[in-house]
This record gives sequence, C-alpha cells and structure tokens, in this order.
Amino acid sequence: MEILAKLNGAFMYLICGAIILLVAVICVIFAVRAYRAGKAMGIDTGKMKRVITASATFSILPGIGILLGVIALSGSLGTPWPWLRLSVIGALHYETQVAEAAAEAVGGGGLSASTMTGEGFTTIALLMCFCIIWGMVLMIFNGKSYVTRLMSGGRSARKPDADAGANAAPAANKKSTAGFGDIAMTAMFIGLVSAYIASYVGTIVSSEGVFTFKGSWLSLAVSVVAALAMAAFLYIKNKTKAEWVDSFSVAGSMLIAMASAILLGGLA
Amino acid sequence: MDNMTKTGNINIDSDAAGSEKAAYYGRYISNTHRLGRIMTAIVLVLLLAAPFAVGVYLNAMPNIPAAAKAFLGVGVVYLVSGIVEYLIYVPMLGAGGSYLAFITGNLINMKIPCAINARDIVGVKSGTPENEIIATLSIATSSLVTILVLAFGVLLMIPLQPVLQSPALQPAFENVVPALFGAMACKYYRQNKLVALIVLTFMILVFSFVPSLIGSTSMMVIPSGGLAIALSYLAFRKKAKAAAAGEENK
Repeated sequence: MEILAKLNGAFMYLICGAIILLVAVICVIFAVRAYRAGKAMGIDTGKMKRVITASATFSILPGIGILLGVIALSGSLGTPWPWLRLSVIGALHYETQVAEAAAEAVGGGGLSASTMTGEGFTTIALLMCFCIIWGMVLMIFNGKSYVTRLMSGGRSARKPDADAGANAAPAANKKSTAGFGDIAMTAMFIGLVSAYIASYVGTIVSSEGVFTFKGSWLSLAVSVVAALAMAAFLYIKNKTKAEWVDSFSVAGSMLIAMASAILLGGLA
Repeated sequence: MDNMTKTGNINIDSDAAGSEKAAYYGRYISNTHRLGRIMTAIVLVLLLAAPFAVGVYLNAMPNIPAAAKAFLGVGVVYLVSGIVEYLIYVPMLGAGGSYLAFITGNLINMKIPCAINARDIVGVKSGTPENEIIATLSIATSSLVTILVLAFGVLLMIPLQPVLQSPALQPAFENVVPALFGAMACKYYRQNKLVALIVLTFMILVFSFVPSLIGSTSMMVIPSGGLAIALSYLAFRKKAKAAAAGEENK
C-alpha cells in the first residue's frame, strides 16, 4: 500500500494539476474568442448566453458521473492520476477497461492496489494516455483540411489552404451543406442512441444465454423513465411556450431517471 | 442585423457588410486552427511525457513491451474508434469545438449531446459559421464545468466519499449513460420515427442473436449510424426527386 501513498503524493497532484490547469486555460481562451467572434458576426448575445447556461447545466450531472469514475479508480491508481485522465481526453467508458488490460499485461492480474508496483502503474498510465490520442493526432495533422472541406461542401478540397478560410464562410451558408448534412447528423445520433438502447434490450433478452430473457432490465427501465421525463419537458415547453425549459430538459430528465434507478434498483 | 437576430442565422454573404464579415470569419477560423493545433500538440506532448515523469518520481519507468502487448489487445479497438469518432464528430462540432472536444474527451457521453443540445436550443444548422461559434462555446463551457466539478470533487473527496459511495446511491450513478440516452432518444426519435424504428429493431436483433457484442456497444455505433445515415439518404433522395418532379410539372 506504500505505492498508493506515493500515488496520492504532492508531486502527483502537482504534475496532474498543472496539465489540467493548462486545459482549463485553453477552454477559457477558446470560449472568449468564440464569444467575441459571435458578437462581431452579429449573433445574438442572448442566444450565446443561453448556450453557455444550457451547456453548464447540462454538464453538471455527467460531471458528477465522471467524478464517480475518479473515485472508482482512486482505490487502485490513487486520486490524482484518474483525475487527470478523466479531465484530459478521458472517457468514463474507456479508462477502466484500458487500465485493466495494462494491469494484466504487466502481470498484476488486474487493477488492484494490493498488487500494484511502480512499473505496473507507469505502464498503465502510459497505455491510458496512448490508447485514445488518435482524435488529437488527427486534428493536428488533418483537422484544418477536413473542416475546410466540410464547410465548403467538398468543393474547396483541392484549393490552396490560404484562401480556404475566406471561402469557407460564404460556402457554409449554401443550401446544399445545410441540406443532407443536417439530416445525416440527426441520423448519426439516432444510430448512436439506438445502439445503446438496443444493447439494453439485448442485455435483457440474451445476456444470460440467447433468448433466455433473464438479464437485468434496470438500464432499459432507466432509459424509458428518462424518455418519459423528456417527453413531459417537451410537452410543458410546447404548451407554455417557455423556451427556458430547453436548458434544463436533458439534465432534468437524467436526474429524474437516475433517481428512479435508486427505487428500481431494489426491484431489479 | 435585425433579420439575423430574428432568424438565428447569419447571412454573411447577403450584402456589402457580408464580405467584411466573411473575411473576419475566415481569419477567425484560420487563427482557430493555428491555436488549436499548437495547444493540442502541447497537451499531447505533456500527456505522453507525464507517465515518464511519474516514472522518474517512482524510480520505475513504463514497461514498453507490456504496454505494446496490451495495446495490441485493447488499444487497436480505440485506434479504430478514435478515427471513426474523428470522422463523425468533427462535422458536428466544427473547428474550435473539435480541438477542445478531442483535448478534453468524454465525447459520446457529454460533449456531443451537449453541443447538439446547444445547437437545437439556438436553432442553427451544421456547417454554418453560427454552428462553429455555438459548438465552441458549448464545448468550452461543458469542459470547464467538468474540470470544476472534478476539481471540487477531488478536493472534497475525503468527506464526500461516504455519501457518493453509499450503496443506496450506486444504482443512480451507474445509470448515468442509460439516463442520457433515454432522454436523447425521446428528443431525436421524434425527428425521424421510421428510421429510428428500423435501426432500433435491427440493433435489438443483432444484440439478441449475438450477445457477445453487448460488450462492444461503442463499436456497434458504426453499423447502427451507417444504417441510419443510409436510410436517411434514401428518404432524402426520394424527397428531392419528388420535389424536382413537382417543379417540372409546374
């Protein structure tokens, strides 16, 4: 357990805290630039403020969920490292799986503070960082040309970069870009949601053996409660014409569904 | 300008002032890419250097062969998923939003729904300058809130731990993702009920017949999303053809 004391030491907080602070500064810089650009381009500041409020309220509940991920990993990796991982490129879904695989590869038999060594920890830490850097790498080397191509509907793909930025704005307003592009994005999201909802149904139907119907129904029940709560929020919004309901509908639906999980958890 | 406020869409190439705004936006995007690439590179280097810095502190460097072995087992999945996420999510987030989202992570469970929620609230279209600004503001705010929640949480972790880890609350926190997707399903299924019904039915059959895929749900987003896009494209083409035929008849 001596290793855990080191992993919770001041040096670890310093190194992880410094990187997280840098990421926070980057977020502030991007937010301020976007707000100023929005004002200069004539976007209603009231709308931008609504976006900020809605995004902040939307993020609190998932943020608490991510914090629980930090707590879950802190027992074997200390607190600072999971804090860093889930603040920078982290993904709640991925971290435990990758850490477990690395722990197995170094011969620890799995994620556990009792079998953790210095070498085991640094190997796990490296793999946790390395496995999900690809989005960043692609943004560095290909982000500009990809975004430019998307915003100009593919037509400026063969143009020099120098004029791409200036061409992007007028082209972006063309009907063709906003036509199928928007439908495709909605479709992609329907696909994303369907994969997860279907996995909850699949869990009930076949997780304990194909078509045995013995799996846990809690995740599906929570999803249904969240959907019903969202339907209620949408109904209230449409009836009362209260636009502010939008800012809280997703977070509110999640909160209601998560609370229902406490009640339903006893029955499942 | 009044028109812009009313419609929620900036029409920057509609008048003389438009070209000035287009040039401004061009400079903004160009600077965003420069800043984004520099910041992303710095964070990437720091992140990959951190395990080695910790190695110096612990006097135990990472075991590279073991890391490579584990990467071949589990990391390759995330390589593919990282590329797919990049191809799919950049169009939703624009330049600024994408740099921030890929630096801060938690895309599927937080940043993407957050940006789409913000986009819907304001009523902007993908690929427009307005979407670029709104997505960047949304992702930056979301990331800052997450960083603050985690920072406060880590500070308060010792006194909070008994409450957060109480068995009574665990079902709630274990179901954050189902709660999120349930809420989003209600919102998005209404927009294209037929596509939603077909895709959901297909995916239920896939998971029911091959339950081992349940553990790889994030990868199954690829066929699910692909099917949804293909069906939407067929419907879009059919509608476009019908509209064209209507025009000809006039």
